[in-house]
Amino acid sequence: MKKTIYIVLIMLFPQSFLFASTSGEGETDDQPGIKLVNYVKKADRIDRKIVDHSTFTVLQQEFQRPQDVTLACLSCHTERHTEIMSNNHWTWDRYEKLDGRGEVSVGKKNILNNFCIGTSSNRETCTRCHIGYGWKDETFDFSEKENVDCLVCHDLSGIYKKEPGNAGYPFEGINLNVVAQSVGSPERANCGICHYWGGGGNNVKHGDLDMAMNDCSTEIDVHMGTNGEDMSCIECHITENHNITGKLYALSSENKNRVTCEQCHTDAPHLDAVLNKHGYRIACQTCHIPVYAKANSTKMWWDWSTAGRLDEDGNPIHESDADGNHNYLSIKGNFVWDQNVKPEYFWFNGLADHYLITDTITEIPVQMNTLDGAYSDKGANCKTDGCSKIWPVKVHRGKQPYDVINKRIVQVKTFAKNKGEGAYWKDFNWDESIQAGMDYVGLPYSGEYGFIETEMYWPLNHQVSPVSKSLTCVDCHTNSTEGRLAMLTDFYLPGRDSNAWIDNIGLILIILSFIGVVVHGALRVIKRKNCLHD
Amino acid sequence: MKIYIYQVFERFWHWMQVLLIFALAITGLEIHGTFEIFGYRTAVWIHDTSAWSFLILIVFAIFWHFTTGEWRQYKPTMKLVKEQIEYYITGIFRGAEHPTNKLVYNKFNPLQRFTYLGLKILVIPVMGISGLAYMYLNYPNQGFQLAGLDIVAYIHTAGAYFLIVFVIIHVYLTTTGHKPLSAIIAMITGWEEVDEKGARAMLADEMEVALKITKARLRTNGDKSELLDEALAETEEKLGVKKEEKFRDVVANSGAGYFRINRDGIYEEVNKAWACLYKFETPEDVIGKHYSLSRTEEEFEELEITFKKVLEGETIPHGEVTRVCQDGSIGHHTVTMTPVMHNKEIVGVEGFILDTTARLLAEKELLENKIRLEQILAERDGK
Repeated sequence: MKKTIYIVLIMLFPQSFLFASTSGEGETDDQPGIKLVNYVKKADRIDRKIVDHSTFTVLQQEFQRPQDVTLACLSCHTERHTEIMSNNHWTWDRYEKLDGRGEVSVGKKNILNNFCIGTSSNRETCTRCHIGYGWKDETFDFSEKENVDCLVCHDLSGIYKKEPGNAGYPFEGINLNVVAQSVGSPERANCGICHYWGGGGNNVKHGDLDMAMNDCSTEIDVHMGTNGEDMSCIECHITENHNITGKLYALSSENKNRVTCEQCHTDAPHLDAVLNKHGYRIACQTCHIPVYAKANSTKMWWDWSTAGRLDEDGNPIHESDADGNHNYLSIKGNFVWDQNVKPEYFWFNGLADHYLITDTITEIPVQMNTLDGAYSDKGANCKTDGCSKIWPVKVHRGKQPYDVINKRIVQVKTFAKNKGEGAYWKDFNWDESIQAGMDYVGLPYSGEYGFIETEMYWPLNHQVSPVSKSLTCVDCHTNSTEGRLAMLTDFYLPGRDSNAWIDNIGLILIILSFIGVVVHGALRVIKRKNCLHD
Repeated sequence: MKIYIYQVFERFWHWMQVLLIFALAITGLEIHGTFEIFGYRTAVWIHDTSAWSFLILIVFAIFWHFTTGEWRQYKPTMKLVKEQIEYYITGIFRGAEHPTNKLVYNKFNPLQRFTYLGLKILVIPVMGISGLAYMYLNYPNQGFQLAGLDIVAYIHTAGAYFLIVFVIIHVYLTTTGHKPLSAIIAMITGWEEVDEKGARAMLADEMEVALKITKARLRTNGDKSELLDEALAETEEKLGVKKEEKFRDVVANSGAGYFRINRDGIYEEVNKAWACLYKFETPEDVIGKHYSLSRTEEEFEELEITFKKVLEGETIPHGEVTRVCQDGSIGHHTVTMTPVMHNKEIVGVEGFILDTTARLLAEKELLENKIRLEQILAERDGK
């Protein structure tokens, strides 16, 4: 007996270590033991104002023009404009290497999307989100330092606003003294004014960047929640010399200058080794952003083909859905919005391809920005420094105008201040607007347009949920068609996949052996007298 | 009659395997997506932990099999395969005898040998290797890795189904022993109930091994007893054991009964085989008792004389004696006694006994056959 106990102890001893190392993960929302590097917790942060701009006489002058503020800034921060002028926020011209296609500009200046289509020929209104003053056409001087708009990013007064359709100038009558004296490090509202509102409305584009995040709970965003760590954008998007880290693949192609979860959480943030191993092939975001557009809806579908329906008086129409989101606008067509959306999942290795305005259509739906990656992109096959991982993505689908003969997505002139300039939003004439847009970019238009389905991919990074809301094993490891990875079928996933032959043959063998023993046993019982010899 | 057939480690090993295979099968099917019981994460943890426990158990088991020589139990043989298959297909319903008997030194029937050997050298290694590949060769970006999990998973799943089928049939076949539960009870207690024929076969089996061990010992000691040697040779011949066959190096459960009696005639030590021959459950049941308990009266007197002679310093091959077993049955054995020395004084008597019941039975059978043969011949001649 003693011997048995010893053997049992010897058997169980190593297991206790295994158990200790794999269990006991601190899965509480407050996560007291969470592993962090390169980060100062809110409780330990010292928020001390080291400079008070209101004391500077150069900022107490009567500013006539916003450019005068810029010049005042540069009178102390003398060389900062050179940093700004090499920044994409200024150039809108981002030269990146497309896999197998050489270096091209995929900046906002050139690239097409399936929202408002493109900025070319519409600069005057699009440049409301340009960090400069006066970019209304191609005459804009990118080397003129007074054109830099310091205030849109550094205003902390909250009263600085750029005017729609006015080439990046602020509204008339804003007290620029107050604004100029308020400046400091950008807060989330400074970034948000463009990054929340891209595409012409709150949370239209990203789905995970919403004005609600200016003041949200940790349920919406575990990092930015004002009841939690209250992190601003630049806590993660670390910026030095105006080089803002982080980028999104709507306008990027290369695997560089990215912001990662790992920069604070390391590449082994879990206490459970199995979970850490998942990180080799699964982006943190996949499990930790189970849904997006948590506070407000985001646009999922944009159909330009229905645009142009006017009321009896020839005026544009607005129609809204039950949640108060526009579902029809004469100038833009039909929309579908959605809230608390489950992402779609794709392999992604940090490289993206883009539909360029000079490309011809080869597939439907047209892929506006293809995320590169596959299960097989791993090990020696890795295209980048890490293998492809599964990413959560918002896919924005829509229909947009294209040149039926030339097989090209077309640039459309949508904006003008006045009727008769060929802008669709004023004249509702596709032919004229496409012609004007294509003339602007110097490309031919056959004169025959149609509408074609397009898809655009927005990898998700924000609105990280508390741990209690993260995906669990069976969200993916399930053979249900509702499984998160039900569509990502280029690899064997335990719990989801099986070989029907093996399963069926296995089941048949089990049933046959069971029937076999039952019949055999029954026969023995029937002939009990014979079979139980004593 | 009961025989001690499974040792402690063997039983522990077996039941750990039961536990682990059940845990692996249930959690494995949950991971496979067949059903939900523990929750996926817990299932994975149990599966991984069980798998590692199994590997540790296998290391222990391999060590045990080689140190005890028990691996020989798995040497495949074609002898009686047909008979064993026929028994399961038809014989068992007719109430036929088992074609093979479960013996301490030959526990498995030929089908079991093939099946268990197959499990040990094919199924378990395949499951282990595919399982380790499943765990470790899928994720890393460096070094050797699998193109995908599919093939490994298919192999692992197929193996799992095979093992489930094995378990169903295996559990069922345990009921085909002497009594429906005797095989399972044997795996719990170590003692298996067998029928008379089985017991006799077991005795012969133990004898065979005992003979060899005794012989080996005598040779090394150079302490050869002529009478014993003769008895050994004779019994060997009767049992059909070939002399040139290699001695089995089985030490445990020595077939020769060993005993030590002190000056007062009290048993101080006996080995398992001795207890077995006298049909005691354990040696402890005998120790402390007087040696008269296992003798007929007239034999006791005769033995008393020998005993005294030995105490005076003689080594005496007493020859054949009759023993009264625990259950009252009578057995026969030869006994050799030598004095036990301690500090140059004789403190008791020790010796070993060698069962001759089988020899006598064989002789009897031979005689019966002879008589029957004569009868047959006489009948034929009569015609």
